[in-house]
Order: sequence, then C-alpha cells, then structure tokens
Amino acid sequence: MKQYLVKDLMVPISEYATVSVGSMLSEAVIALEKAQEEYNHTHYRHRAVLVLDNAKQVVGKLSQLDFLRSLEPQDEMLERIKDIQKFGFSSKSIALQQERYRQTAPPVKDVFAKAAKLKVEDFMQTPSEGEYVNEETSLDTAVHQLINGHHLSLLVTHKKKIVGVLRMSDVFAATFHVMKEVEATE
Amino acid sequence: MKELERLLDRITQRVNINLRELEYDVNPLVQKLIPPNQMTKFYAFYGITPHHPLNFQFKNSNLSGSYFLGKCSVNNSLLYKSDIRGDELKQKADVFKYQNFEIPVNEDEAIEIEDSFLIKTLVHNFSHDPETLEKFFIRDTIATHYANIHGSPSDGCFLGPFSTVDLTTIRDCLVGTFSYIQAGEVSHLNIEPGTVWVRSPDVFNFLYRFPLQRLQNYIYFTAGSPPQGIFIDFVEDRKEAFQRVFNVVNLEPSVSIPSSASLDRFAVIKPKTHISENVLVSQRAYLQNAWLGKGANAQEQSYIINSRLEGNDITAHGAKIIEADLGMDVFVGFNCFLRGRPESRLTIGKESIIMPHTIIDIRKPLTIPAGHLVWGLVTDEKDLEKCSLPLKAFSKIDTRFSKGDMIFEGKGAEFVTAFKERIHHILETNGAFFNGHSNKGHAQQNQNISFNTIQPYPKGDREGLYPTIIIRP
Repeated sequence: MKQYLVKDLMVPISEYATVSVGSMLSEAVIALEKAQEEYNHTHYRHRAVLVLDNAKQVVGKLSQLDFLRSLEPQDEMLERIKDIQKFGFSSKSIALQQERYRQTAPPVKDVFAKAAKLKVEDFMQTPSEGEYVNEETSLDTAVHQLINGHHLSLLVTHKKKIVGVLRMSDVFAATFHVMKEVEATE
Repeated sequence: MKELERLLDRITQRVNINLRELEYDVNPLVQKLIPPNQMTKFYAFYGITPHHPLNFQFKNSNLSGSYFLGKCSVNNSLLYKSDIRGDELKQKADVFKYQNFEIPVNEDEAIEIEDSFLIKTLVHNFSHDPETLEKFFIRDTIATHYANIHGSPSDGCFLGPFSTVDLTTIRDCLVGTFSYIQAGEVSHLNIEPGTVWVRSPDVFNFLYRFPLQRLQNYIYFTAGSPPQGIFIDFVEDRKEAFQRVFNVVNLEPSVSIPSSASLDRFAVIKPKTHISENVLVSQRAYLQNAWLGKGANAQEQSYIINSRLEGNDITAHGAKIIEADLGMDVFVGFNCFLRGRPESRLTIGKESIIMPHTIIDIRKPLTIPAGHLVWGLVTDEKDLEKCSLPLKAFSKIDTRFSKGDMIFEGKGAEFVTAFKERIHHILETNGAFFNGHSNKGHAQQNQNISFNTIQPYPKGDREGLYPTIIIRP
C-alpha cells in the first residue's frame, strides 16, 4: 500500500491555470478553460486560477466562488439586505428580500459584460498561512490541513517557491484508492 | 476643571476599549460635544416623595442640570441635563417573572451609573435582565442627545442622538442615531442610524430601516459638530421656555388641574392647555394649546402643540405631536415626530399604534384610520400606504411579511398582543385607570414631590465635579 506524499498528488504549477496581476476576469476564465483542456490526467477539473505577480510568485487565488461573487451587484442596497442577517432573520427571509431587489436590478447581460472587465485582484483571495504545504509532507498531514482550514486546495512549496497545487479532489481520489486497497487486503 | 477633563478622557477610553472589536473611536464624536464650561453652569436636583425609596450616592461625578428620583448611584460619570427616573424600579419582595421562572427580588433595585457620559438622556423603568434583577447598571457607556435607556442595562456602548434602547440588555454595541432597539439581549453589534428593531426571540422579529438620505434632514450626527437637523432645530426653538421653569424656585401652575392628575413642576405649559383627570405630565414635557383627555399622558421630553388627545393616549418619552387630533387609546412611541400643519392637520383614528421612532411630516391633511399600525417615514398618502397596516391584517401574518423597507418574521398576532399589553401596562402604571380610590399610578403618586438642589465645586481643579454626597432618609 503506497504512502503518498504531497508531491505525488499535486498538479505542477506549469499545468495549472494562471494569470498575471492586472488581468481582467474574462482573461482568467479563458486561462481556466485552456488549462482544463490541456490537463487530462484525471477527470477532476481545475476549479481555480492562480494570480501571479511580476516575479511569477503566487499572490492570490481566484476560485469559482470568487468568479460568481463578481456578478453580485456591489451596491449599498445589497449590502443593506445582507446586513439583515445580524438581526436574526432566517435565510429564507433574506433570500426573499434579495429576490425582490433583483427585480429592479439591471439585465443579466449587462451585469456579465461589466463583470468581465473587472480586475482579478479585486476578487482573488490572498492565501493564508495555513494554505501552504511542503511537497514532502505526508498525505495524512495534508488531509488534516485541508479539513482544519476548510480549504479546497493547498499551495505546494519547494523551499520558498510554489511548485504546485494540491487539490482536494485529487486527495479524495487517492484516499479513496487507499481505502479500497485496505478493504481488499483484509 | 482638570479633574472634569480627566474624567471625560477616562470614560472615552473605557468605551473605546469595549468597542474595539467594532473598530470604532468615539473620541472625535464626544470631545467637543459639550463645552466643559457648560458642565459647570447648572445645578442638579433630586425628588423626594413618600412613595419612592430615597437613596442617592454621587461620587467623583458631574451632574449638571440632571434630575434624580428613587434609588441610584453615580460614580466617575458625567451626566448632562439627564433624567434618572427611578420611580418604576423593582422593590424588595417583588417577584420577577421570566419565562417559567419566578424570581424573588432580594432588595430594592438601584440604578447604578459608572464610568459613563450621558447627555440629555432619559433613564427609566427597571432592569428586564433576569441575571441582574437588583442592579440596573449603566457602565462604560456614552449616550448622546435625547437618547433613552429604558429598562436596559448597558455595558460598553455608544448611543447616538435620539436613539432608544428599550427592555434590552446591551453590551459592547454601537447604536446609531435615531435607532430603536427592543431585542431582549444584544452584544457586539453595530446598529446603523435609523434602524427600528423589535424582536422577541423565536416569536417575532420586526425590522425597519430608514432611507438614510431622507432621515438626515431630520437628524444628522457626525464627528466634530453637535447633532443637526429638524429635530434639533425644533427643540432648540423651545429651549428658552424651559430656562424659566428651571430658574424660578416657586412656580405656580399656569393651568388648573384635577386632583387626580399630575403636572410636573419642570414641565412647560403654554396657554390654552387643558388637562383632564388622570393625566400625567412629566418633567421637561412641553404643552402648548394642548387638550389632554382623561388618562392621557405626556412623558419626558415630549411636545404636544396645537393638538387634541381624546383620552388614554400615550405620548412616550421624546415624542412630538404637532397640529394633530388623536382619537382614544392612541399610542405614540418613543421619539416619534408627528407634524401636521395648521391647514393640513394630522388625524389619527382610535386605537392606532404609532411605532417608536416614526416620523409623520405632512403638508396635506392626512388621516390614519382607526386600528392601524404605522412605522417609518410618512410624508403623504403614498408613504402611508407603504408604512402602515390595519392591526387586524398584521395579526394574520403567520410566517413572514415585507412591505416597503419593513421586514417581519414570525407571528403577527403575538407582535400586536405584545404591543397592546404593553400599552395597557403603561396606562395602568401612569394612573390612567384611577377611579378615585384604587388603581393609583404616577399621575396620583407623583403629585407631591419636593425638589432639592445640589451644586458642584465652583473653581479649582475640581471645578464642575460634585462632592461625594450620600442622601438617605
């Protein structure tokens, strides 16, 4: 039974979707599509784009949720609706308020066109300390790190350089594989 | 005056420490709000009655122009023209009912104000917190102009002008200008200006938020200047009338009042005012050409001008009624501003409830039908349609409801019942149902109050501070 290390499961950064700081969201979407077409080692698809600075260092990560967030109208009214939560109203009531508001919002086509031109750095998440993992780390430790931080992926480091991405989907597949092996040997 | 300034710094720092999580600095808001020389000008006074415990303790504090009744202590605090009215505090051997508990009260309840700065603030009622039955505490708190702390222990809070905390224990919160909170227990919340929130956990939840731009015409408060807007102009225009009642020692009432009614000696009464039986007029109330029917009341800082109240009407703390005709049993909540015009009067049908912090400001005649609930900002018929509902219809809400800027969740019937019960309780406490021998309330018990004055150090480092004073029977 194989004892996996992080480097065995990671996607090398060269095969991951990346864009530079200053890119538009539309460019990030294209980069993600392209990376997905070229990466065919597993049927699990990429779900994020890494944002690189001029020195090619990773400075942020743009997830599918971040893309969707760019479509949310950024206005005072919506903020006020979101704020209702702190007064103890149910999510059903908040959703109804949002639905009511959306009836007065601009057409979807306009919202999408506007979002495509927004900058990636306005929506990306800056990785926190717990999102980095050394490539020599064991799978058990990496799993613990994913669970504790509720992360969908971790940035894999070699010395101080980011060399890849450890995706939860690949970790899940490997773990599941080990589980099946154990069951078969018992 | 050094000690006074040091005290303000100490209070400000303590409030900031409590509000650090909300990243709020109260310093720029309060530093120049009341010039220190204003705080040395006015005497403080306290009431003595046969009906309320007499137990005051003042230590290292400024009490400028403030009024005290009942049992209270003030330590390391600045109280500017505030009313600390302890005539509804719990008494020893009372039993406090909370959910399924019946908790005996061990000693007379006291209002305990510590490390706080209250400006023109009303403190009234009793602590509704079952965890602190005998202590209605106000700690590390700054309350600005015309705030109401009503039955609400407070710790580490900042209350904006014309805000109200009602029957709610509040900790480390920021309550915005003209916000009304009645929510049981809240902590670490930043409540934006113009929020009206009434919640009974797991039963109902009512929320209205004023359109801020429109609200700012009425009240606006920002760092570096005192509160501004129509509310402030309205009060300032009538300030002089109060100076007379506070300057003169023996003042004869300007109207005749029935023996069952109470007219506070520190209220302003202008001509053609009529006061019927069982009426209560509290200190700092202002009546001008006002007709008050049997059992009506005008509470602290309320103004009733060119208006008629048929009877059993409640004008809650800070409410203003101008050019209006109210039917029987109308409730006008805290800090409401109801303004008709001489040619465009406001008529409110019987048994209607005007929610606390409602603004009705009209330029064409407007009638609110009987039995309606009104909230928010109403300037015409169109607004009224968005901001009102018949009480019967409201009672039918079973899950959730939304209208204009109001959102409601829970049982409408429970909400209406809670309001009606409270209205009945207020009338009862105020003596509206007195029948000549029983059902006495404030209107009958507050008639014979003696007032004594106390003064601060006139000069030196302690200028403006009052010496330690203990007053007991």
